[in-house]
Amino acid sequence: MSDSANTINRPWWQPGPFDWSALEMLLMRAGFSALVFYTIKWETGAWTTQKFPNGIAHFLDLTWIGQSPPGLGLKALTLGGLALYVAGWLPTLGLLPALFFSIVIGTLGNSQGAINHSTQMVTMMLLAQFLVYLIPRGPGVEKPADHWTRPGLTAQQQAIWWSTVVIAASYVVCGVVKLTNSNFMWLCDAPYLAVQLLKTNWSHYHDTLEMPPAWLQTVTQTLVDHPNLARLFFGAGLLVELLGFVVLINRRWALGGGLAIIALHLSISQVMSLNFLTHIFATLIFLVNVPGWLMARRPP
Amino acid sequence: MSVSLPPRLAAVWQRLPFRAMLLVVLFLFIVKERYPFSNFPMYSNVDEEADILYVTDQADAALPMDAVFRTGSGTAKKMYKKELSTISKSAGRKLETATTEDRAAAGRAVMATIVERIRPKAMPASVSQLRLYRKTFRLEDGGLAHLEPERLAELPVPTP
Repeated sequence: MSDSANTINRPWWQPGPFDWSALEMLLMRAGFSALVFYTIKWETGAWTTQKFPNGIAHFLDLTWIGQSPPGLGLKALTLGGLALYVAGWLPTLGLLPALFFSIVIGTLGNSQGAINHSTQMVTMMLLAQFLVYLIPRGPGVEKPADHWTRPGLTAQQQAIWWSTVVIAASYVVCGVVKLTNSNFMWLCDAPYLAVQLLKTNWSHYHDTLEMPPAWLQTVTQTLVDHPNLARLFFGAGLLVELLGFVVLINRRWALGGGLAIIALHLSISQVMSLNFLTHIFATLIFLVNVPGWLMARRPP
Repeated sequence: MSVSLPPRLAAVWQRLPFRAMLLVVLFLFIVKERYPFSNFPMYSNVDEEADILYVTDQADAALPMDAVFRTGSGTAKKMYKKELSTISKSAGRKLETATTEDRAAAGRAVMATIVERIRPKAMPASVSQLRLYRKTFRLEDGGLAHLEPERLAELPVPTP
């Protein structure tokens, strides 16, 4: 498997889009469309106020979407637009309904007094792709009219590339914030995360009334008894976040970094009952990219 | 229309490693939590204490919050912190020095919000009263202590 000429001619620390093929990107767009539709929290009925406005809710009243949740028609419109995007036709127009509902519903949901972090990354990826399709830019990109109606391979690669940039940046900034918010004491304070483990598991119990498995008690107590083990365990997670930029180097790094990110989420899911399925699927689609590796193994 | 940087700045920009990503990291770091943007600050500042919120019936038996209130314990806790922050700030106090009355007022505000979201079918028929509790866990003396839960609010189950 090779990377694009664009990447080969650059130093590894200034990477660019990989040489994703048209079919590979079609599959990525199909997977991403399903993920976007799944990520939008269509059931908005519980959000009839915006007591603690966030983002555009500071300027706009978005409660109308809580009072009249999108019905089948609007969902069909969103799906139709996503189908256009998957086919590579009019992607700016195609992504518009999904982007609109992602931002409006996500903002209203996060204006209830509790900020949830499960949808931001996918919505930012959607926004990044929308902007790439909206603004024709860079060498090899067609004239605006062609770019907007049926963007070529270069524009499609840029759209996928900016999605991977958003994934990398999300993990790196998450790691950086851990350091700055803790006055660079995060690793030292990592043993306190045992209390958070206990908290999230009891929290999960009160959500579902399902008791956490007994082994979790043992894990939590082990982390309390062995603070350096806690630092090693949680420090590995911090390292995966801070080194998130490596997924941009080439396909192999994307695969390795992607698998590390998925391992991080699966371990968090096991010990803290915090599931970031949208992040896992975004990573699978754009970084692990199984179809791309299978296609590369096929004889010409 | 294209924007061109001054030559020196352009040279610095050209030499930056992973510059597109760095730009996004810097943007997210500055913008913080403004949907859809986020700096993902979860678990960035941890200490020896953590607390949860939960709802019980009149006999202190826990209710499944996801199913009954369409609001998880974690979300209720974040709402409580936001309410408590607003209440204590308006009284000229810091979050850490919030009084029992502040906490109860924040608890009542959370309760008022989540009862609006009740799924009547998921509410057991035997429940007549709802109680909101806050439970704190603390790392002390090499062990994990479960502190006595604090009742923040109580109200009858609203009639549909």
